[in-house]
Amino acid sequence: MPDPMFQVEHLLLTYPARRGQPPATILDDISVEVARGGALVLVGPSGSGKSSLLRCLNRLEEPTAGVVRFDGHDITELDPRELRRRAALVLQTPVLFEGTVRENLKIRAPGATLDFSEPRLREMLTEVGLDATLLDRDAAMLSGGEKQRVTIARALLRDPQALLLDEPTSALDPPNAKLVIETVCRLRDVRGLSIVAVTHTPELVRRLGGPLLYLVKGHVQAYERVDANGVMDQRLQAFLSGIHP
Amino acid sequence: MGGFGIIDLTWWQLGLALLLVAVVAAISLRQALGLERDLLVGAVRTIGQLYLVGLILAAVFGAARWYWVLLIIVVMAAVATHAAVSRLAKPIPGVYWIAATALTISTAATLTYVIGVVVQPRPWWEPQYVIPIAGMILGNSMTSAALAGDRLQADLFARRDEVEARLALGFSGREAVQPLVRAALRAAMIPTVNGMMTVGVVQLPGMMTGQILAGASPLTAIRYQIVVVFMLAVATALGSLLFVRLAVRRYLTPAHQLRRYLL
Repeated sequence: MPDPMFQVEHLLLTYPARRGQPPATILDDISVEVARGGALVLVGPSGSGKSSLLRCLNRLEEPTAGVVRFDGHDITELDPRELRRRAALVLQTPVLFEGTVRENLKIRAPGATLDFSEPRLREMLTEVGLDATLLDRDAAMLSGGEKQRVTIARALLRDPQALLLDEPTSALDPPNAKLVIETVCRLRDVRGLSIVAVTHTPELVRRLGGPLLYLVKGHVQAYERVDANGVMDQRLQAFLSGIHP
Repeated sequence: MGGFGIIDLTWWQLGLALLLVAVVAAISLRQALGLERDLLVGAVRTIGQLYLVGLILAAVFGAARWYWVLLIIVVMAAVATHAAVSRLAKPIPGVYWIAATALTISTAATLTYVIGVVVQPRPWWEPQYVIPIAGMILGNSMTSAALAGDRLQADLFARRDEVEARLALGFSGREAVQPLVRAALRAAMIPTVNGMMTVGVVQLPGMMTGQILAGASPLTAIRYQIVVVFMLAVATALGSLLFVRLAVRRYLTPAHQLRRYLL
């Protein structure tokens, strides 16, 4: 793939032995790429390392070995804070802080310079499909789907190049999940964002359309593109249709 | 009768005091609390430990050498370090050094000020002043460090997503944990601040009680107690601040990551 957004080579992630627990291998020899403006979907049973792989991409986890490149740079050569602004993470359970939606959107590290002008805040809310009148609403009073979209708007204020989505719809009811999926797909088209998503939602898998990386216990079981015929790998087919290995 | 009009307790009188423990044992038996064994061990340890301490202190007071006073304080600091660490729910790598550093610095700073500037005994290492004051400072620093450490650990686990959400928004590690550090420090310091509100009203502090029992005038006793209350406030603040600041660094990496496997 020429000039990918993310390039992961032979990634290894292990946790050291702790009192009463042996060392654990979380990810073993993972190599994968994400095209600019493209998508990658991570699937697998819980504990397979999907979220850990996602967290290696914005360096919330430190790989034990291997290389992760973002926009052509080894991420260990970038300032992690800058990397995380450019590769924004959206969690399964949206984390909103005490205060209004406006205060949540305007949250920033001391000293960081970001454009939080009123028109821009309104624009971001509109971009994620929310009404700008929500700005003064107490963030705790929002529905799950609204909260999730506020966290996406908060990420967009940082002008990211990539979105890392960790099961963004699994805590939502179907109508709200659909709204979040619409938002993500629209952002991808409009902003040309690269997207890496951990998801089991067939709708999101289909709409994102990128290759699937099927992980089991930290190992790649299958890595293939979804085409008109669906997926070819039988284990992956079985997993997606709800039959666990 | 001893000096200053104090009644010297005889063995016979101590035996009478032991009857009080028998009352507790009877309650435990009657209510099936299952505490008799611990009570017995506790009573024996109370007698044994305090006698041992009494003998050691008597020897140190008699020898009147600064290095013996220092040694006693070092031993107390080591015990306090161990006690503070063993109260933590989960181990923190290098926690002994963290606790030892926090307790040593907070105690040294507080003790130096109280002995050197406020009380000014002659000689400065006069064991009658230095040892009990150092003991009180250490005890409070230890408790506050343990309280703060406990709260920090619990919060790092319960609020880990919140910390990582801040990291993901471009906060540094230190900035991302700051609200948790603040909560831990408040948890450690609130009992002391609240204690200042009710001191002497709800109950007479132990040291003041002791001085009055030993024949000091209540007005002398309260002056010492005022110094002690302020001294313990700063020991609490310094002990918890140093401990939390040093401990939280163990959970963070230079690349602004939260070491989740430690939680």
